[in-house]
Amino acid sequence: MNNVFTRHKWEPYIWILPSVLLMLIFVVFPIGIVFRLAFSEISRAGVVGQFIGFQNFIDAVSAPVFPTVMLNTLIWVVSVVGLSTLIGFIAAMVLNQEFHGRKIARSIMVFPWAASLVIQASVWNYIIKMEYGNLNNILLNLGFIKSAVNWRSAYQIEFIWECAVGIIVTIPFVTFTVLSGLQSIDVSYYEAATVDGASFRQKLFNVTLPLVKPSLTVSTVLNIIYVFNSFPIIYTITKGAPANKTDTMVTYLYMLAFYDQRKGPATALSVIGFLILCIASGIYMMAAMRKEESL
Amino acid sequence: MTGSKRIILLLFTAFLLTLAVLFLPLLRFKTALYTKRSPNTFVGDEKYIAVRAEVDQEAAAYIARGIPASVTEQVTERVNSKGVKTSMVAFSILTEESRSGWQLLRAGLSFSTLLCLLLVLSCLLFLTGLWSVKAPSRSGSTIQTASVVLALAFFFLVPVTALNVNISLSRKVALALSQNLPEPEMQHLFSRLDTFLYDGAAGENIQIMLGTFSYTLSPLYYLLLCPAFIFLISTLQLRCGRILQPLLRILLYTAVLLFSLFILYPFFVMFITAFRSNAETTDMYFLHILPTKWIWSNLQDTLNRGVLRYLANSLLIAGGATLVAMFCGIPAAYAMARMEFKGKRAYLGFVIMSQMFSPVVLLVGISRLMNTIHLNDSLIGLMLINAAFNQAFAIWLLRGTFVSISSEMEQAACIDGCTTLGALLQILIPIAAPGIVTTLIFVFINSWNEYTISTVLISTQTNRPITVGITQFSSFNMIEWQYLFAAALLATIPVVILFMLIEKHLAAGLTAGGVKG
Amino acid sequence: MKKLLTLVLALAMMLCAFSFAQADDITLDVIIAQYGPNTQDWFLGTGMNGTSFKAKFEEVNPGIKLNLEVVSWNDLYTVVSTRISNNNAPDILNIDTFSDYANEGLLLPVSDYCPETLFADFFPSFIQESVIDGTVWAVPDLASARALYYNTDLLREAGVEAVPETWAELEDAAQAIVDYYSGEVYPWGIDMTTDEGQAAFAYYTWANNGGFVDENGEWALNSDANVEAIEYALSLVKNGFTNPNPATQTRYDLQDMFGAGKLAMVIAPNSVPAYIAGKGFDNVNFATASIPHNEGASSSSVGVMDRIMAFRDDSADQAARNEAIGKFLTFFYDPENYVGWVSMEGFLPAVNSAVGALVASDPSFEAWLSVLDSAKFYPTTKAEWNDVKQGVIAVEQSALTGGDVRTLLNDLQAKVTGK
Repeated sequence: MNNVFTRHKWEPYIWILPSVLLMLIFVVFPIGIVFRLAFSEISRAGVVGQFIGFQNFIDAVSAPVFPTVMLNTLIWVVSVVGLSTLIGFIAAMVLNQEFHGRKIARSIMVFPWAASLVIQASVWNYIIKMEYGNLNNILLNLGFIKSAVNWRSAYQIEFIWECAVGIIVTIPFVTFTVLSGLQSIDVSYYEAATVDGASFRQKLFNVTLPLVKPSLTVSTVLNIIYVFNSFPIIYTITKGAPANKTDTMVTYLYMLAFYDQRKGPATALSVIGFLILCIASGIYMMAAMRKEESL
Repeated sequence: MTGSKRIILLLFTAFLLTLAVLFLPLLRFKTALYTKRSPNTFVGDEKYIAVRAEVDQEAAAYIARGIPASVTEQVTERVNSKGVKTSMVAFSILTEESRSGWQLLRAGLSFSTLLCLLLVLSCLLFLTGLWSVKAPSRSGSTIQTASVVLALAFFFLVPVTALNVNISLSRKVALALSQNLPEPEMQHLFSRLDTFLYDGAAGENIQIMLGTFSYTLSPLYYLLLCPAFIFLISTLQLRCGRILQPLLRILLYTAVLLFSLFILYPFFVMFITAFRSNAETTDMYFLHILPTKWIWSNLQDTLNRGVLRYLANSLLIAGGATLVAMFCGIPAAYAMARMEFKGKRAYLGFVIMSQMFSPVVLLVGISRLMNTIHLNDSLIGLMLINAAFNQAFAIWLLRGTFVSISSEMEQAACIDGCTTLGALLQILIPIAAPGIVTTLIFVFINSWNEYTISTVLISTQTNRPITVGITQFSSFNMIEWQYLFAAALLATIPVVILFMLIEKHLAAGLTAGGVKG
Repeated sequence: MKKLLTLVLALAMMLCAFSFAQADDITLDVIIAQYGPNTQDWFLGTGMNGTSFKAKFEEVNPGIKLNLEVVSWNDLYTVVSTRISNNNAPDILNIDTFSDYANEGLLLPVSDYCPETLFADFFPSFIQESVIDGTVWAVPDLASARALYYNTDLLREAGVEAVPETWAELEDAAQAIVDYYSGEVYPWGIDMTTDEGQAAFAYYTWANNGGFVDENGEWALNSDANVEAIEYALSLVKNGFTNPNPATQTRYDLQDMFGAGKLAMVIAPNSVPAYIAGKGFDNVNFATASIPHNEGASSSSVGVMDRIMAFRDDSADQAARNEAIGKFLTFFYDPENYVGWVSMEGFLPAVNSAVGALVASDPSFEAWLSVLDSAKFYPTTKAEWNDVKQGVIAVEQSALTGGDVRTLLNDLQAKVTGK
C-alpha cells in the first residue's frame, strides 16, 4: 500500500462517509436497541419494562434445550459452510474451463441463489413429503423404488435434509466469488507455470489457490455469518420440531420470542450469538489477514 | 492377425447379449391368486378346518385349468388392549412362473421401454463391432469410441432395467388393483398382463388372477453384466490411448449435466407443480410425473391476486437497495483497498460486526427506528434497510476484488494528473467489473429475498414485496401449492433473466480487464 | 452522487408527508388473521360480491378509514408483538389468545365499545371464554368444533363394522385396517406439530377425564389420567397405527391424506367437507362421529374459538374512537356481511343472528352448533395458557423421540405453577 491516492489526511474519511452514515442509522441504532432490550424486562405481550441486569442471559443459558441448540448450530454452520465451500470451489474450477454450454451451465448455477430462501425451503419441504412429495413421485414413476419412502423418518434425517438444502443454496455464492477471483487472475501466470512444466496439482496449489485466497477468505467469513443467521430453511421445513431438536440458535430464539412469548431471553440469546460470531470470525480474520499482509 | 480375432470375439459377445436379453427366462413372477382372511380363527379349530377345505377346493380348480397352484397360510396373533388374545389366519393360493424378455416385449407392456432400449444398444454394439472389422483403420477409431460408450451405457443400464421393470410393473398392477388408475389405462394394462402372464387364458378373471402380484428378477439377468464387462475390457484394451481423452471429456460433460440437473430439480418441481390442479398437487398415488392437465390459468389466478404488484415492489426495493449499497460501498471499498488511514482496521471490523445480528433479532429495533423517522410501511425504508444490511458484503467483496488488482496503472494515472476519483472510475472499475458484478448480484438477490423485516414493516397490502405477498398462498386453511409455486416461478424468473443479461457484461468486462491487464 | 442522495431523501420526505395528509378522519389500524385462501380477497380485494369489506365499510361509515391488514398465521404473532413493543399496537386485532394482552392492561373492556344490541347477540357461552376477573376483554369472531371423521369405505372394506367409540375399539379397528391394507392406508391421524399439538393433548386427555385443569380450575397437567392419555396416543404411533411423522405432519397434511383415501380416521374441524370439496377430492365417502374415549370416561367434543379485541390508545379521542370500533364490529357482525364470511371460511358463527341464514344454506350447521354447545374449550383465560400450550407440544414431541411422559409432564407442571 502507498499514499499516492491520498492528498489530504481527511480524504479517506470522505470516501467512507456515506457508508458510515448508512450503517450508523440503519444498523447500529437497531443493534443499540437490541442491547438495551437484552438487559430489560420484556412482558409476554411485548411491553418493554425496567432494567434487570443479566437475568435474561441466565434464563436463556439455563434452558434445558440450550446445549442441543448450540450443538445443532455448530453442526449446521460447519457442515453448510464447509461443504458448500468445497463443492462451490470445485464448481467454480469446472465453470472456469472452456467447454460447450459453459454459459448455460453458469446461468443454471445462479438458480438456487435467485429464488428466495423461503421459496426454496417450501419447494424442498414439498419434495421430501412422504405422502405426496415429488421425490417419491419421480422415483416411483421411474421405477427406482417400490413404494413411497419416508424421507423424514427421524429428526436427525430431517436435520440432514435441512443442512443439504442449506448447502445447495449457498454453493452459488461461493462459486461466483471464487469465479470472479479466478477470472481476475492473469492468464500469463498459468502460461508461465505451463512453460515451467507444472502439473495440474502444482498449478492448483501454487497459482490458483494463493490468488483466489483473498476473495475466498472474505466469502468464507461472510458465509459463516450468513449461514449462522439463516432462518427460513429450518423454520419452513421443521419449525425446530420435535421439541427444538432441529433448531439452530436463530430459529430457536425466534420461536422463543414469538411462540413462547419469552422475548427477554430471546434477545439475550441474540446478543450471545453476536458474541460467538464476533469471536469466531475475529480469529478467522486475524489469521487470514496476517497471511494477506505477508503476501 | 490377433486384432481381427478379437473383433470376432466382440461380435460374438454382442450377438450373445442380444439373444440373452431376449430369450433367457429373466422375470419370475409370483402371485397369490386367491386370498381368504379368516379373523378370530385359531389354527386347528372348527372355523379353521372349514375355511381350509374351501380354499383347497378353490386351488384344485386352478390346477385343473393347468395353472400351478399351492396353498399357504399365515397366522397373525395379537393381544388387544382388553387383554384378549386374538388370531387371524390368512390363506393364499400361490402360483409361480418364469417369463422371458421376449414375452414381455411381445405383450407390449409400457414397462418394456427400457428393455427395448437395451436391445437397441446391444444391436448397436453388434453393428459397431461389424463396422470395425470392415474398416479397422482411421474411421474405425471413432466407431470404436462409440462402441465403448455404448458398452458403458449397457453396463449401467442392465441393473437399472432390472430394477425398473421389476418395480414399475409391481406398482402399476398394485395401483390398478386398488382402482386408482383411470379406467382406460386400467383395462389396457389388464389385457396386456393377461397376454404376458397367462397367454390370454385368464380373460375376464385376470383381475382376480393377478392376486397379490409380485416380481423377482432371475439372477440370470445379472449374468448379462459379465459379457458386457468382457466386451468393455477388451475394447478398451484394443484402443486405450485414443479412447481415454474423449472419455474424460464425456465424464466432464456428464458431471456438469448431472450437477445441473440436480440444481434445476427443485425448479422443475416448482414448474410442474405450478400448473397442476389443486387436488393433483397432493396426489398420494403418484400417478404421473407431469400434470395430467396443464392448468395455465393458475398463473393468471396468482396475477389476479396481486402478484404483479408485489413483483414491482420487490424490483423497486432490490434495485434501489443495490444502487444505494453500491453508491456507498464502492468508495468505501476503494478507500479500504488503496488508502492508509487511522481507524481503517477498526472500520473493517465494525463493518463485519454489524452483520452479525440476524435481521430477525433486530426486528424490534428496526421497526422502532422506522417509526421514528416515519419510514414505516414505505418502500424507501426497506430499500435503505436492505442497502445497510448489505454494506458489509459489498465493502468486503469489493475490497477483496480491488486488492487483488495491481494498483500500478492507477498510480501511473495519478502521477499523470488524474484525480483519485478519475482513477477509480476510468481504470479500476472497468478492470474490477467481474467482482463488481458479483457484488451487485449478491446485493440485489439478498434484497430481493429479504422476508422477515418486510413482514413487520409493511402493513399496506399494496406495498408488500413478493416474498411477503406469497404467504397468502400458504394460509391457515390450506397450502395452495400450485399458486405458491406459480408465484414463486414469477418471482424467480426476473432474477434469472437479470443474471443472464449481466453474465454477458461479465464476460465483456473480463476481456476488457484482460486487454488492459 | 450527492444529488442522488438528496433526491432519495426528498422522495422519502414526500412519502412521509403523503401519509400524514388526511388528518380529520379517524383511522383504525386493523389486523385480521388469514384463515383461508379467500380472506384477503374478501377484506381487501373483490371477494365480497365484487367489492371489499374495506371499501364497503368506508362507504357506509364516512369519516372512518380502515388501515386493514391481513396477516398470515405464520407471521401474526411476530407482527403483533413487534408492534406492541414499539407502542404501536393496532386498534383492532383478530387473533386466538387474549389473556396476555388483557393481563398487561393493553386491552379495552368490550363494554367500552361494543353496542349493547350486538353484545346481546353473541352466544353467552362463548363470551364466558373471554372473561377475566368479571370483565369481558374480547368478542369471539368465529368458532370451530372438532369431531371424528372416518372414511366409510375404508372401514367397511377392512371389516370394521362399527365406528370405534372407545380406545380399545379404536385399536382393534386400527389393527384390522393395518392388516387389510398392509400399510397402504394409515388407520389414524395424529398431529403433534408445533402448529397445533395442543389440540392432540385435548383430544386424548379430555377423552380420559383428564385435561389441562382440574375441577377447581387449577393446572393439573401431570395427572394420572393425562399421563395415561398421552401414553395411549404414543402407543398408537409406536404400533404403526398412525401417519408416520406426527411431529411435522400438520392437520392439513392429515386432511389431504383423508381426502385422498390414505387415512381412515382423523379428528378434524367442521370445515373438513368444505376443505375436501375445495381441494377437488371427489371419491371419498365419509361420516362423523364423536371422539373416541377411554373406557370409564366420556367423550367430549373440542371447540376452538378465535377473537376480536381492541387495544387501548390513551392519546386518542376516546369517545370517538370507541364509537368507530363499535361501528366496525356492528358492520362486521351484520348478518349481511358476517354470514358470507363465516360460510366462506367454513367455520361456525359466534352470533345468534347469523344462525338462521347459515342453517338455511347448509342443514349440517345445526348439528354442528349443538356439538359446539357441549364442547370444551382451551383454558385461554388463564394467564399461563401460552406457556402450557407450548409446553404440552414440547412434551408430546419429546415423548415421540423417546422421553418419559410422566417425567416430562411433571417438569411442565412444575414450570407452569412455579413449584
